[in-house]
Amino acid sequence: MTLPRRIVAWLSPLLACLGLLAVWQVAAMLLATESVPTAWQAIRTVPEILGDPEQLGNILDSIRRMVIGLALAVAVSIPLGLAMGRSARVAAFFNPLLMMIYPVPKAALMPIIMLWLGVGDASKSLVIFLGVSLPVIYHSFQGARAVEEKMLWSGAAMGLSGIARMIRIVLPAALPEILTGCRTGLVLALITMVTSEMIARQSGAGNILFNAMDMAQYDTVFAMIIIIGALGIALDAAFDRLRRRLVRWAEPHQEILLGAS
Amino acid sequence: MQDASSRMHEDVAARSAAASARRPAMIEIDRVSKRFETSGRKSHLALSDISLTVGDGAFVSILGPSGCGKSTLLYIVGGFVAPSEGIAKVRGAAITGPGPDRGPVFQEFALFPWKTVLGNVMYGLRQQGVARSEAEAQSRRLITMVGLKGYEAFYPKELSGGMKQRVAIARTLAYRPSVLLMDEPFGALDAHTRTRLQNDLLEIWERDRKTVLFVTHAVDEAVFLSDKVVVMTRSPGRIKAMIDIDLPRPRRRAELLLNARYQKYVVDIERLIDNGRDGMEPP
Repeated sequence: MTLPRRIVAWLSPLLACLGLLAVWQVAAMLLATESVPTAWQAIRTVPEILGDPEQLGNILDSIRRMVIGLALAVAVSIPLGLAMGRSARVAAFFNPLLMMIYPVPKAALMPIIMLWLGVGDASKSLVIFLGVSLPVIYHSFQGARAVEEKMLWSGAAMGLSGIARMIRIVLPAALPEILTGCRTGLVLALITMVTSEMIARQSGAGNILFNAMDMAQYDTVFAMIIIIGALGIALDAAFDRLRRRLVRWAEPHQEILLGAS
Repeated sequence: MQDASSRMHEDVAARSAAASARRPAMIEIDRVSKRFETSGRKSHLALSDISLTVGDGAFVSILGPSGCGKSTLLYIVGGFVAPSEGIAKVRGAAITGPGPDRGPVFQEFALFPWKTVLGNVMYGLRQQGVARSEAEAQSRRLITMVGLKGYEAFYPKELSGGMKQRVAIARTLAYRPSVLLMDEPFGALDAHTRTRLQNDLLEIWERDRKTVLFVTHAVDEAVFLSDKVVVMTRSPGRIKAMIDIDLPRPRRRAELLLNARYQKYVVDIERLIDNGRDGMEPP
C-alpha cells in the first residue's frame, strides 16, 4: 500500500510540471511570436546562464542577500513575536506599529531605503528583512499565545525563571507555529529579493531578468523565471523536510495508541 | 440534619486542632481571600476568609461544586496566584511564588509535548542540577512505579489520557516536592481509568506519605483518598465544613465500598453539599 502511494507522491508534481511545460510549448508554437519562446528554448538557456561565471555570481549574490535578510528577520521576529504573545504590554506597544507596516508593500520602501543606504547589499537585505518579518512575528505571536498556562506553571514549579520559561517552554511549544511562519517568510524572502533587484538594478537574479527583458532576450527572461521558480521550490521543500524533522512530536499521529489506562 | 453537620463540624475542629499540635504544619492558610477584577469595574469574590492548616504527611481534599474557588485556593498554595488578602505559608514561610517544594498535577496534564515520557519525567531533576545519568536512572524507576515501563520513548500525543496523567504524576514526584498539589487530576478521565489511578495514587502515597492537597468535586473520591475533607460553598468560596475521615489504611476500594462508615461519610457529605443549595431543603 505504501509503495504506490510514494510513487504517486513523487509522480503527481512531476506530471503537473510536464503538463505545464507541454501547454507552454504548444501555446508558444501556436503564437509563434518572439516574446514567447517555447519551453524547450527556455530550458535550453538555463545551463547557459548557470555556466556563465558572471551570471552565476549574480544569482549567488541574490541568494546571499536573501539569506542575510531572512536570518536577521528570523533572529529578530521570533523573540519579538514570542514576547508579544506572552506579554500584553509588549503586544500593546508593538501592535499599532506593525499594523501600520503591514499593508505597505515592502518594495515600495525601496527608493527611500536606497536613498539612505545606497543600492548595495544593505538596502536589499533590509527590504527582505522587512518582507519576511511580519509573518514570522505573527505566527510566533500566535504560537506563544496558545501555550497552555499550566505548562508554564509546571515549569515554574520546577524552578525555571521567567526567561528560562520563555526559551525552554514557550519556544519549543510554539515551534510548530513559528516554523509555519518561517516557511511563509522563506517564500516572501524570494519574492522580495527579486522585487528589490528590479528596483535597484546592480546585480542579482532579478537584475539579469530585467536586463534581458530590456534587451528583448526573451529566452533568458523565461529561463530566469524557471531558475528562480526552481530555487523557490527547492528551498521550500528543503525547509519543509527540516520542519517535519523538528516538530515530529506535534504531527497528527497515524496510529492511535490505545493504552490500558 | 443541620444539627448533625454542625456537631460533626465542631467535633472535627477539636480533632484537627489536636492533630496539628502533634504534627508540624506543612501548609497554613490564614484568612485568605481572592478577588478577581472583571471587566467594567466589577469584581468577583472567588474566595472569602479561608483558614486551613494541613499537617505534614496529611492527605487533604478540597471538595466543592465547580466555581467555588477550590482550584484558586490550590493555585495560591502553589504560588501561581497571589491572594488579595491574608497569607499562605509552607513550612512556616510565606508563599511568594512557585517552587519545587510544591509540585502541581493538573487536570489538563500540562506535559511538555516535545519531550518523550522519559524527557518529561527527567525535566525537573535536570533543572535541579541532577546529572543526566542519575536523573535518567531515577526517572526510569518512577516510570516503572507509575506502570509505564516500556513507554519511555513515547511522546505525549501517543498516550491515552490516563497514561498522560501517570506521566504527569511521575514528572512531579521526580523532583521530590514536600507537597503534592493535585487539581482535579482525574477529572478528565473515564470512570474505569479514574478508579485505577485513584488506587495507584494511594499505593504510591502509602509508601512515602507526602503531604497532598487534592481538589475534586467527586465526594466518593475525596472520602476514599483523604484523611480530611474540606467542603466548600460557592460564590464566594467559603469553607462549610471540615470532616476527618477515620477509615483504616491501607484502603482498598473494593473493601471500602462495602464499609458502612465509608458509606455514611459519603451520604453525610452529599447531604451537607445539598443543604447549601437555595430552596433545595430535603423533606
